[in-house]
Amino acid sequence: MAWNIFPLWAGIVMLIAATAATWASIKKERSTVAIVTMLIAILGMGGFIAMLWATLGRPPMRTMGETRLWYSFFILVAGLFTYARWKYRWIMLFSTVLAGVFIIINIARPEIHDQTLMPALQSVWFVPHVSIYMFSYSLLGCATLLSVVALVRKSTDMDRAIERLLYAGLAFLTTGMLTGALWAKEAWGAYWSWDAKEAWAAATWALYLIAIHLAPSVMNTKRRGLYHTVILLGFVALQMCWYGINYLPSAATSVHSY
Amino acid sequence: MKTMATGKGKWQLWGVCMVGAVVALSFIVEMCWGSFPVGIFRFPLNILVMALWMMLMAMMYRGRGHRVTRFLLSREATWLSLGMVAVIGITLGLQRKPASTAWPMVVSLLFVQSHLLLVVMRGWRNKGGVRWRFCLTHIGLLLALGAGYWGAADREQWRMPVHNFPSNEAFTMQGEPRRLPYTLELKDFAIEQAENGTPTHYEAQIMVDDERVTLRVNHPYARTLSEKIYLVSFSSSPQGERYAIVEIVSEPWQWLSAAGIILLIAGAMLLFIQGPRKGRIENPI
Repeated sequence: MAWNIFPLWAGIVMLIAATAATWASIKKERSTVAIVTMLIAILGMGGFIAMLWATLGRPPMRTMGETRLWYSFFILVAGLFTYARWKYRWIMLFSTVLAGVFIIINIARPEIHDQTLMPALQSVWFVPHVSIYMFSYSLLGCATLLSVVALVRKSTDMDRAIERLLYAGLAFLTTGMLTGALWAKEAWGAYWSWDAKEAWAAATWALYLIAIHLAPSVMNTKRRGLYHTVILLGFVALQMCWYGINYLPSAATSVHSY
Repeated sequence: MKTMATGKGKWQLWGVCMVGAVVALSFIVEMCWGSFPVGIFRFPLNILVMALWMMLMAMMYRGRGHRVTRFLLSREATWLSLGMVAVIGITLGLQRKPASTAWPMVVSLLFVQSHLLLVVMRGWRNKGGVRWRFCLTHIGLLLALGAGYWGAADREQWRMPVHNFPSNEAFTMQGEPRRLPYTLELKDFAIEQAENGTPTHYEAQIMVDDERVTLRVNHPYARTLSEKIYLVSFSSSPQGERYAIVEIVSEPWQWLSAAGIILLIAGAMLLFIQGPRKGRIENPI
């Protein structure tokens, strides 16, 4: 029932978010109006998730469509945070577009038919593992957007924000991955088994770690672009880890296919 | 910039080439003689080799003026280590059956650990404002990685169909029979199914010798400190008798892994709270 009204609900939320983002992008100074408006949009998105949770009677984190819902929510949060903290006035526009893309995918391909929660997912680790991961993805999504701008414009304005986002994103990525390891020990008997999803998670993690360890050597040199490029590569690996592996032959033997 | 300027070029490049050559060699070994014989490295041989490796690292750290140690402690070695992990992840992520005991993998992860151990030896007490974070993340990773690596051969896993009579006949993952030092017996089994027939919940009441335990997915029974019994699946015999399939995993090193994971999570929290070191980007190095 909740999904029936999703196109309308999400449309209104996105309209509010887009208004906030546009307002922020044309204002030279940090705009309280934009922040409050975006907050309303985020509350609207959160309200839909809460309603879905209540109607399903289980955490809405089971299907790909549901994880995309969380991503849309968190990317708006991360965008607002980046704007409020560093006053980078374009970021909310980018994060709104990204949220919109995932909402459109959800409207076009609602993978929401399965109502049950399989026994493997009935665990106290389920909610923290998925939500921490989705939050880290959204922070790293913002870092990626800023890195693209940094590469295109060859500017250094965003470097401080990129590094902060990268640190926060990596902290959550690490926690998400390790809660997964602790969960895997309870569910399957092994912390780590190089399952396709785990392997791509390791690759993603390592790429972001390269970026962090690269920063001191390249940030104030001509090779700064290398830093931003590695962040982009990390984000590509992240997409593979999240849903890209579903299209690989290795997914056939994965225990992570939901 | 200082290290970059003085040591510009040669020895870092030399180090990367040497590591590359060793990894290339490991590929040849893999192709000629197959995967690494993990089975040999059981307790106590694994402990012995690990101790020797740690002693070697300690000796190398003492003689850190030597170019080999200087390379192993360099930023290039950090990037190379992390690059190796990324390549391993991508490679295994593309395989249907991950070859996690292949020689290149074993060799690469030894290099990663060597670098990590030396970096910890150098940094554990002189990392300024980020000392705690440095220690938690790096030691945590070293423990988690090390426990999985050196303890791999001590990890044992068996499957066992549990019927409504006591039995101790389990099988290795390769299908070889193995007798357990205790018996398992199925007392009761409950399955709840959704309308479309997929099970939403199942649990088994099992007697482990004289103790009655409930097994559910995500809720294994810890028989000893190193051994856990997992409910994996259920099946029916041709006669219609329903039985449970359990998996028994013995992993003596699991507490070291858990300690490493917890340290690493604590380190990740500090990473979030503290953020990047101040002034690193604004001021030229």
